[in-house]
Amino acid sequence: MTLDPNGYTIQELGPAIKDVEDLEALRSILEAEKDGENRKGAIALIESRIEKFEDDDDAPEELDPTEMSPADIGNAVKSIDEIDTLETMLEREEAGEDRGSVKRLISQRLDSLRGSDEDDDAEVVVEPPEEKHPHLDHPTADKQHVRALEDGTYRDMWVYCETQQGELIDCSREMLGKARELMDEYAADYGDSERVVAILIGDDVERLAEECISYGADVVVYHEDDRLKRFRHKPYTEVFCDMARGAGHPYGREDRPEEEWRDYDEPRYILFPATNNGRDLSAQVQAELDSGLASDCSDLFIENVVISNPVKVGTAGDKKEFERVLHMKRPDFSGFEYSTILCLDNPNREFHPQGASVIPGTFEVPEPDLEREGEIVDHEFEPDEEWFRVEVTEYDVIEGGVDLTGHGVVVALGRGIGDDPTRGIELGLDLVDAFDDAELGISRGIVTGSYNFDGHVEQYTGEDRQIGETGQIVEPDLYIAAGISGAIQHKVGCDESGTIVAINTDPDADIRDFSDYFIEGDLFEVLPRLIDALESGELDTAALASGGATDD
Amino acid sequence: MTEADRDYEHYEAVVVGAGPGGAAAAARLADAGVETVVLERGVEAGSKNVSGGLIYAEESAPYTIDELFDGFRENAAERPITEYHLHNVSGNKVKSFDISRLHHHDTEWSDAVLRRPMDSWLAEQVHEKTKEVGGGLLTDIRVNGLLRENGEIIGVTCDEIDPITADIVIAADGVNSELARDAGLMDWDDPEEWFQGVKAVVDVPPEAINERFGVGADEGAAHLFSGDLFEGVRGGGFVYTNEDSLSVGTVFHLDSLAAERAEPHELLDALLTHPFLAEWFGDEYSEREYAAKLVPDSKKVAHGSPHEDRLVLVGDAAGQMQAQGPIIKGMNHAVTAGALAAEAFVEAKNAGDPDAAGENYERKLRESGTMRKLRPRRYKAASAVGENGVATAISDAVLKSPLGSLGVKALERVGALDRLYSSPFMAMMVPDTRTPYVTLPSVIAEELGDPVDGESAVEPPDLADRIGGLAYDTDIGNPHIELLDNSYEASGVAVTACPVSARDFGGGCYREETVKTNGSTEQVVSLDTQPCVECGTCAVIADTDWEHPSGGKGVEFRSG
Ligand SMILES: Cc1cc2nc3c(=O)[nH]c(=O)nc-3n(C[C@H](O)[C@H](O)[C@H](O)COP(=O)(O)OP(=O)(O)OC[C@H]3O[C@@H](n4cnc5c(N)ncnc54)[C@H](O)[C@@H]3O)c2cc1C
Ligand SMILES: Cc1cc2nc3c(=O)[nH]c(=O)nc-3n(C[C@H](O)[C@H](O)[C@H](O)COP(=O)(O)OP(=O)(O)OC[C@H]3O[C@@H](n4cnc5c(N)ncnc54)[C@H](O)[C@@H]3O)c2cc1C
Ligand code: SF4
Repeated sequence: MTLDPNGYTIQELGPAIKDVEDLEALRSILEAEKDGENRKGAIALIESRIEKFEDDDDAPEELDPTEMSPADIGNAVKSIDEIDTLETMLEREEAGEDRGSVKRLISQRLDSLRGSDEDDDAEVVVEPPEEKHPHLDHPTADKQHVRALEDGTYRDMWVYCETQQGELIDCSREMLGKARELMDEYAADYGDSERVVAILIGDDVERLAEECISYGADVVVYHEDDRLKRFRHKPYTEVFCDMARGAGHPYGREDRPEEEWRDYDEPRYILFPATNNGRDLSAQVQAELDSGLASDCSDLFIENVVISNPVKVGTAGDKKEFERVLHMKRPDFSGFEYSTILCLDNPNREFHPQGASVIPGTFEVPEPDLEREGEIVDHEFEPDEEWFRVEVTEYDVIEGGVDLTGHGVVVALGRGIGDDPTRGIELGLDLVDAFDDAELGISRGIVTGSYNFDGHVEQYTGEDRQIGETGQIVEPDLYIAAGISGAIQHKVGCDESGTIVAINTDPDADIRDFSDYFIEGDLFEVLPRLIDALESGELDTAALASGGATDD
Repeated sequence: MTEADRDYEHYEAVVVGAGPGGAAAAARLADAGVETVVLERGVEAGSKNVSGGLIYAEESAPYTIDELFDGFRENAAERPITEYHLHNVSGNKVKSFDISRLHHHDTEWSDAVLRRPMDSWLAEQVHEKTKEVGGGLLTDIRVNGLLRENGEIIGVTCDEIDPITADIVIAADGVNSELARDAGLMDWDDPEEWFQGVKAVVDVPPEAINERFGVGADEGAAHLFSGDLFEGVRGGGFVYTNEDSLSVGTVFHLDSLAAERAEPHELLDALLTHPFLAEWFGDEYSEREYAAKLVPDSKKVAHGSPHEDRLVLVGDAAGQMQAQGPIIKGMNHAVTAGALAAEAFVEAKNAGDPDAAGENYERKLRESGTMRKLRPRRYKAASAVGENGVATAISDAVLKSPLGSLGVKALERVGALDRLYSSPFMAMMVPDTRTPYVTLPSVIAEELGDPVDGESAVEPPDLADRIGGLAYDTDIGNPHIELLDNSYEASGVAVTACPVSARDFGGGCYREETVKTNGSTEQVVSLDTQPCVECGTCAVIADTDWEHPSGGKGVEFRSG
């Protein structure tokens, strides 16, 4: 026996038997496996190898095509090298069932043999999937409008700009920035300047167009409809695809006008955010446009690429250079490695637009350029009432939390309130009220404390008001920190403030190092006096000083 | 194959944890062609791990790390340890012994290591090896439990990815093994079964190390400390030389630490600031990292039958950490156990009965002599007397009496103390009482020691700065430890025993608070897990629901 499979793991077995071509040898390996470890995987592996050669073995000298399905013929002719045999087959088919697809298969094989006498390059036989795999279901076989284009023109990089609560999400900005970078390089590499096109769909999105331009878009196409306030799968997909298909598109709507800003059938590239909605939309849009999608990408670049995969180049052994290919990197399913996905045309089927969804946070949010100019296009289109059959009756906005930024004053409380926590928060709130534009923040020490707060102040003691490294970062004109020690993780949340006033019983507290005014004193005494002073309109510095104020 | 095996991703072997135990197991499996996936919760292997640490290659061990990983010593270790000293301390008096003989006993070699560089190097090798057999090493993945079918363990479940089934699950997930707990093989109930190790890595330039320790560039020294440095808490300290840093740490019995309400960081500081160590640090003390971790005491917890269904435990997860007197041997036993578990599986599989892996492994642990090292019989005999409170009190009293001191002097005169300290058997049978850890060393130092002059200028950073110096990726809103009972009685000891908490320190994990309710006041503790270094202490000594943070979250050690 040539080889004992039991000495191999399943992973090793594949490579080990890959060069064994002798049927007898393979059959004895199979027996050895069955007598030995009898692993399902190993058996399947060896059997598939055996089948491969049995097929070859059985390849009949005289094939009667009329008794075979086109798929079988497709497979069978691949291994027939004699022109005579093929010609006989062709004649029989013509005399018999005379199926176009069968004749094409045989003729293609003949052509390839005649055309390549010296080398035995095999032309790849391209069959429609229904014919190639007749025993499988083909649910998409009769889909009508969803077909790739033939000889389509494709240009520009489109970016679907998702919005939430009426604003662009960061990922939209990130993608615009990246798209800008890619298309600038594209122009340099290929001499064609193609554009970044931002797509906005919603109820009130035109106002975001300028922002899209400032992040890098050359053109913004938007579609507004009150019914599109919330993301909805069907109408969003339909609108997007309608935008994508230019005038004269074979599957587009008939009344689609020529548009001045574009002269192509479909976008060359499309980027979607890999958010819940973006993933949903991207899958359906790319399917409608009959192309592919690389989901959850973590890097993108455009390059030419030389490929030898026969499915893509048409002839085994040939190489072909594909130009302007969007390289889409993504972690593979288990996360061991990264794969780079390419969406390449087949010889007789186009795979465009090349589409990717991008993991939020992958790219930097660019600095907006408010001077940038661009074109804004109102996409005119009346969505079908039918598409809105699903009705959204209720929805929740998940608590956005409290925004402590952008206020003139922030009053922050720390564990110094421990002696009477509820009173401490009340004092903080009173002080906040004494200013025109102030908010209350707290240290992490309060968030995680076991304090028993009374109900009415409890809402001020949660994570949503925490200031610091793992909370919010604030830069008010005035930051008042009462009973906060000034740990480094707290400091990073406030030390860009204009003026920092600290109130603390411990003159050695770290906060003293980065505060402008340090009041040594008990916050339960100092805060009421501060509040009084503010309310009476005279900030009595003398009163503060008597509380132990030091100005350093 | 069971039904679940078909429903989930299946590997022949899944190894949880990429410390020395997991790395050894995975390497040995991959070498035998077993399709193996390794799951590690850290952002990189080693980012969660702490040891002293000297890794030993024992002459008597069936496996050593350099046999499994070519080039280990050159690529993953710091300095080889060429000399070994023990110092007994009483006040500023120190009596030193050369215990190189004990150190060299059964030792082929021993190197100082830092865990981040060591484990991440190992992980690279493991990834390469396992990839070849259709698996690989995945970081940022926390296994959160065992997958069972009809009550039988068949795989693991994770926070980040779908469950994985395997013919063997090797839990090498360290001292607070969630898998061992899930399987009911280990518990975290008794502080007497654990040590707590705390350590600082201190920058010292390589030339300064050579000069101050009197070693060559390819040599290193180990120094151990015992005596009255530590407020009577049972345990000791160590200083090991790395390439360009020193590892300075303390290891204490957790029960003693808790009973004395001692602050681990203060005990470490007591060592760091002792004048005897002053010259080693030079003029400028620069602390690179502060870290801590529990250490199991194999004498008490090494599991005699560490397996269940398809699960086997190796290393700290099985309690296989041997405190051989002052010498701590955990990594080497983890390596041995990992490789034996792998070997056990390969043999069982080849015999057509993979389910026999657990039994095989247990037998191998026994037959290789590993189990005997971990749970020595001598210890049982000695502890029968030694751990008895009355006996301790009497021997302490005798030792402290003039007569006892005389005895010590007499022993010294005939060289008996040197012999005693260098005896591996003595080391194996030291009972866990104050006598050997505190009383005897202090008496020896008091009677025989030479005073060390001068003051130490070392000012170790305070806890806030130590926490500030660590890197954290906080899982905001998802604390990995839940305080079940926040009363002071149930959990108050964590305020002192947690290595990143302290009395009157608001920036730690555990803090004391006084809560007033309806006129009465109550002592409670509160918990913030953000500064947590995941040492495991409060899993044992406080009333908590304790888990590791999700993959990649929590503290990230750079040295370890
Ligand atoms: C201060 C101190 C000093 C020490 N000194 C020495 C010494 O000098 N010599 C010595 O030999 N030993 C020493 N030890 C003991 C030694 O560190 C351990 O015995 C050894 O690390 C055990 O190896 P292990 O592989 O079993 O576990 P670990 O090294 O702890 O590895 C466990 C791994 O599992 C991962 N993990 C844990 N849970 C999960 C999960 N749920 N999912 C995924 N991954 C998980 C962890 O991140 C880690 O990488 C010391 C320990 C301490 C604390
Ligand atoms: C990874 C990580 C991230 C963190 N992120 C944050 C963060 O985002 N934000 C944050 O705040 N913290 C954060 N922390 C926690 C931080 O380290 C500190 O623990 C926390 O800021 C301490 O809160 P504190 O100042 O309120 O409490 P303490 O440190 O306990 O300080 C209380 C202060 O009050 C003073 N005091 C006591 N009584 C009075 C009185 N009656 N009047 C006046 N003063 C009094 C005391 O002298 C003391 O200085 C983080 C920690 C880590 C490890
Ligand atoms: S909180 Fe618990 S696990 Fe974390 S460092 Fe403190 S004692 Fe250790």
